[in-house]
Amino acid sequence: MTVSTPDPALECDHTTGCITCGDEAVAMTVLKLDPERGLALCADDEGRRETVEIALVDATEGDLLMVHAATAIAQVEVAA
Amino acid sequence: MRFVDEFRDAELGRVVAGEILATVDPSRHYKVMEVCGGHTHAIYKYAIDDLLPENVELVHGPGCPVCVIPMGRVDDGIALAQQEGVIFTCFGDMLRVPGSNGSFLDAKAEGADIRMVYSPLDALRLAKTNPDRQVIFFAIGFETTAPSTALTLMRAKAEGIENFTVMCNHVTIVPPLRALLDSPDLRLDGFIGPGHVCTVVGARPFEFIPADYDKPLVVSGFEPLDVLQSVQMILLQLAEDRREVENQYTRVVPYEGNLKALEVLSEVFELRPHFEWRGLGFISQSALKLSEAYADLDAEERFGVPGVRVADPKACQCGEVLKGVIKPWECKVFGTACTPERPIGTCMVSPEGACAAYYNYGRLSQEREAV
Repeated sequence: MTVSTPDPALECDHTTGCITCGDEAVAMTVLKLDPERGLALCADDEGRRETVEIALVDATEGDLLMVHAATAIAQVEVAA
Repeated sequence: MRFVDEFRDAELGRVVAGEILATVDPSRHYKVMEVCGGHTHAIYKYAIDDLLPENVELVHGPGCPVCVIPMGRVDDGIALAQQEGVIFTCFGDMLRVPGSNGSFLDAKAEGADIRMVYSPLDALRLAKTNPDRQVIFFAIGFETTAPSTALTLMRAKAEGIENFTVMCNHVTIVPPLRALLDSPDLRLDGFIGPGHVCTVVGARPFEFIPADYDKPLVVSGFEPLDVLQSVQMILLQLAEDRREVENQYTRVVPYEGNLKALEVLSEVFELRPHFEWRGLGFISQSALKLSEAYADLDAEERFGVPGVRVADPKACQCGEVLKGVIKPWECKVFGTACTPERPIGTCMVSPEGACAAYYNYGRLSQEREAV
């Protein structure tokens, strides 16, 4: 699995905000599941990829998840 | 961008602002507290308060986890980081929080191996790749972040990684809200509830606010239209003499929260009897520590910390700002001795802190008013 971890230096500064400290979750789409390790490769709408812990959600490929500190904490309900 | 663009629509924002204007009683002053630092940041960034009538005031609450960390805990963290063979890891904003004798960044400059990570999983990876070092993760955050720490600890235990420990500073949101509501110098009309905390704990834990304190709470998303609509829902409850917990952020927050996450939290953590909050003092059962089953991964147990209580700097009025008693710019050192580059108080450190958010965005609107 190809993994691209965001540069923390880009995530934490006092003008753009720290996603983790700010209690912010980011919507990311599941690209590929790795059920053996309980992880998934996800991407946000700008194409940034991240390995995400998926133990707390029932994720399948294509699902939209809310990701905080590399952990999916919720699934986004997409209106039909 | 999905779930972003439609919630930043300026035309719709003006419509909601018009509905708010039609809802308020012009003879009354309304104070609405946003609990979450992410909301504070959004309010200043998008100048949401500029869209509200003058008699609707937004008050910034204690919802930035960095801002409520007392200096003594920073000192304890630095003491751990300075131990021989330790790699100390924490989130970016924590690096600049001042302790009584400097910040993590200062300790790093003096030789401690302190590294910024994006998630606890990154810290665990560091432990795996540095088996001859002790890797400590300084865990901080509300219930939004605690599941990530819990899952990492479960992973460390399952994989038998012995050189990884956590210094736990996770806090819970309900006890400080209760403490705030019991504070005699506070007058609030309603709350914008913390959307991402609620993805984990749900909206139910906040039902005591209408039941015991007769105030509405609306769980809110973080885009400008989310916040505006939540304010409108609170004002509508007040106009209709209703007091309820409502969920504006239904696209993400189930009313009951994430049951799997709650199970994980109860396995890995237990409540501390009390914990000190910057500016708010000691609050009972307001923070988490590692449970008995995970005590061997608790950095405080493995290494010991000084645990000395340090009083906040006298000039700093973070406590009053966190309680919403004063506005950031009413603090004596705001923007002069205390700036984001050289913060005295924690509210100026994190971008979600009320002072830093106002310093970065809000003062512009005040300058506009002055012209």
